[in-house]
Amino acid sequence: MKDRLDGFWSKDGTRTVLASLASIIIGLLVGCVVILVVGYTSGNLSPKSAWEGVRIVLANIFSTGRTDGVLTFGFNPVSTGNMLFRATPLIMTGLSVAVAFKTGLFNIGAPGQYLMGTMASLMLALSIPSDVIHPVIIWFIAFLGGMAAGALWGCIPGLVKAYLNINEVLASIMTNWIAANVVTWAFENSNFRNMVENTKSGYVYKTTYNGVETAKLGLDKIFPGSQVNGGIVVAVLIAILMYIVINKTTLGYQLKACGSNRHAARYAGIKDKRNIVLSMAIAGALAGGGAALYYLSGNTEFYWSTYQSLPATGFNGIPVALLAANSPLGVIFTGIFMSMLDIAGQQLTSLTPYNEYLTDVIIAVIVYLSAFSLVIKMLITGKKKRRQLESIPKLGYEPGEKKAADAAETQKGGEAE
Amino acid sequence: MAAQPEYIIEMLGITKRFPGIVANDNITLQLRKGEIHALLGENGAGKSTLMSVLFGMYQPEEGVIKKNGEVVKINDPNDATALGIGMVHQHFKLIEVFTVLDNIILGAETTKLGFLQKKEARKKVEALSEKYGLHVDLDAKVEDITVGMQQRVEILKMLYRDNEILIFDEPTAVLTPQEIEELMHTMRGFAKEGKSILFISHKLNEIMEVSDRVTVLRKGKGIGTVNTCDTNKQALSNMMVGRPVQLEIQKDEAKPKDTVLSVRDLHVKSRIHKKDAVKGVSFDVHAGEIVCIAGIDGNGQTELVYGLTGLEKPEKGSITLCGRDISHASIAARGENMSHIPEDRHKHGLVLDFTLEQNLVLQRFQEKQFQHAGFIDNVSVRKYAERLIDKFDVRSGQGPVTRARSMSGGNQQKAIIARELDRDKSLVVAVQPTRGLDVGAIEYIHGQLVAERDAGKAILLVSLELDEVMSLSDRILVMYEGEIVGELDPKKTSVQELGLYMAGAKRDAGKEETA
Repeated sequence: MKDRLDGFWSKDGTRTVLASLASIIIGLLVGCVVILVVGYTSGNLSPKSAWEGVRIVLANIFSTGRTDGVLTFGFNPVSTGNMLFRATPLIMTGLSVAVAFKTGLFNIGAPGQYLMGTMASLMLALSIPSDVIHPVIIWFIAFLGGMAAGALWGCIPGLVKAYLNINEVLASIMTNWIAANVVTWAFENSNFRNMVENTKSGYVYKTTYNGVETAKLGLDKIFPGSQVNGGIVVAVLIAILMYIVINKTTLGYQLKACGSNRHAARYAGIKDKRNIVLSMAIAGALAGGGAALYYLSGNTEFYWSTYQSLPATGFNGIPVALLAANSPLGVIFTGIFMSMLDIAGQQLTSLTPYNEYLTDVIIAVIVYLSAFSLVIKMLITGKKKRRQLESIPKLGYEPGEKKAADAAETQKGGEAE
Repeated sequence: MAAQPEYIIEMLGITKRFPGIVANDNITLQLRKGEIHALLGENGAGKSTLMSVLFGMYQPEEGVIKKNGEVVKINDPNDATALGIGMVHQHFKLIEVFTVLDNIILGAETTKLGFLQKKEARKKVEALSEKYGLHVDLDAKVEDITVGMQQRVEILKMLYRDNEILIFDEPTAVLTPQEIEELMHTMRGFAKEGKSILFISHKLNEIMEVSDRVTVLRKGKGIGTVNTCDTNKQALSNMMVGRPVQLEIQKDEAKPKDTVLSVRDLHVKSRIHKKDAVKGVSFDVHAGEIVCIAGIDGNGQTELVYGLTGLEKPEKGSITLCGRDISHASIAARGENMSHIPEDRHKHGLVLDFTLEQNLVLQRFQEKQFQHAGFIDNVSVRKYAERLIDKFDVRSGQGPVTRARSMSGGNQQKAIIARELDRDKSLVVAVQPTRGLDVGAIEYIHGQLVAERDAGKAILLVSLELDEVMSLSDRILVMYEGEIVGELDPKKTSVQELGLYMAGAKRDAGKEETA
């Protein structure tokens, strides 16, 4: 198995990493070109500031500000720490999408699961009296509660898919908006709304009001002044755990079997319906856990009147997973990378006439390219496959039988060829 | 054309290499005008590659193609069409939601000022279909018509384009015996009209019946071209496989023992029309015998197997396996005493994106020897896979870690058979275990099934191939429209009689009552 993995890594894996790296580099270059074009064509901007913008995008977290009008670079503990902090929920939602995808499901419901996780973890963290129960224990209860709420929310599209054969994407889109309204309603009728600070009536209390916050685990010493906390460690550990579950366990084997060919899994006596629900529940738990890690940090506030919008972190799980080619370990890096771009955007806003939306351009280019790189990879392998087919003709489907059997149900798993 | 050259198409010294493999090694194929020329070879012999070269999908590294004695260059299928070459692919290239007529004229539409002139097209197609007896419903959607009719649509497509060289890639693989008969008739009609036909197949019966000459390929090399009338099945199969092949199955008299499977009044719903596809079927299978369910495709065999194996819940009736009532048992529970070689190896048999070794433990990964506390024991899985690969001679590029998708059809089937037979269950349900396989693989699989029988297993075989039914089974049950209409002894019956039962023209007196 080890040889197999090594061999796999040396071929397909490497190609995937290279494709992702290529799209990242091209994305950054396109971003720089946009900065320069804007800088040189706009009368309000000087070429100097354009080149400064380029330098900040490329230096990213290593930009340390401006001294005497000159940009300075070096290790920036605040930016680096904040990058890790913001990467935490992205890694979790990225995992949510990636794990579901490994098992043949497209979890576009991460935003809804994230919201439900937010609600459950915040309510638990704020309502359990911290003078009776130790805050650390409350933290764990709230974290697990967030995961459980996300899991429950993920179950719904899973159940609908397994038993009614309704596409999980449709069901997820609906559960997303239901979650947005449920969460708004629940907080509107709660006493968790921040009434102390008058200007913040739209926000829920920080969990620190109840003394609950994520342990720093010494990371604040390495990155002083930043928001970083132990959440990133938890996220990385969960990513490693997901890698092990997917690749090494019988559970992962079953999930993957159902994902790549539901019919064959059923034929082999594997409970396909149970596995679809389970897969969505795990995906939901990951998204919900991501929300819990973000809001239990103690330094984030939740704007509860969210019925008109869905959290971007949930959707950003999709590009994170895409760029990582759905590898749980890859998600750690792509999650950090995405939050790094976020930091670059902030730096642009504070240090140059440009604003953070420029990094959206970069992210957009990268997402497009990573989607294309998958397509290109598929084209290459597809062509190879066709050649193999031609040179070593295999018996394919007998269309008649296939059609007859598939007439009643059209499943992704069935279209194996 | 006054001085007709002898050959309408010549492929001379064609060599086509793919990374790591020479698919065609200096092959020469010469097609006479008005002949039916069969191209025979095992899976992977290079037949399809050669035809793809002729059809312009591949460019050969060496060799030339001549038409009527003149060298031609075929860069893509459009060039091939322009030269009058048409091809019916093994997997039809039809648009399912279009009508038959739309499919036929697609890409060769007659237009006036940019508007389609369907009336003219319809007249032409109707004339062609009349002339060659190719009956199709021009206004039906392709997704609604049978496979046989889809094939007729493909043929009409070639005729509509006035092609004179017709390539048929394994045309009979998807057809029922009756449809095969019809196709043979049509092909002969074409030849009589002066059209030249290239017919790719590995079914010896058909080749002997319909072709004028045969070119045999083996492992990318041309073995030779012979006149069909100068050869016989045995000689051809020896040429194809490269060693003497046992066409007849060697087996002793069956010694049936205890009842293993007992089915009573089983009703199973069809997935397509939601009515019962299996209507009150009752039969027994004993240890040490091969019972074959014969019948024309679509008479309830698939649903019967689904009902037995648990892929579909029976509506009514009882199934007893090894003394246990399994009528309502789960697939996994049934699997304790039953192994199942499924009809559709890509849909049910394999997870194509898994490796060979992962596929070999598809039902068994939960067993103690393959997992510890939920973690798959890769070492023992690998060992087990290597043992099966060795024992059943499953060939693949990278052994246990080969993706199932990249294996040839024959070896995919061998892998399934290895997995199912090694599970060592009292009952083996084998559905069309040799479909689409070449002679060598068929010989092997038949041998394995007979060995299992002799080891005391009960074997339920479902087959559409009359030869297989007659030679392999100890008892034949004929299914017609969801019922068992006859029980025959292969030694005391003829193919003709079997055919009558299959067509519903005859049924056993005793069977009438259950109907």
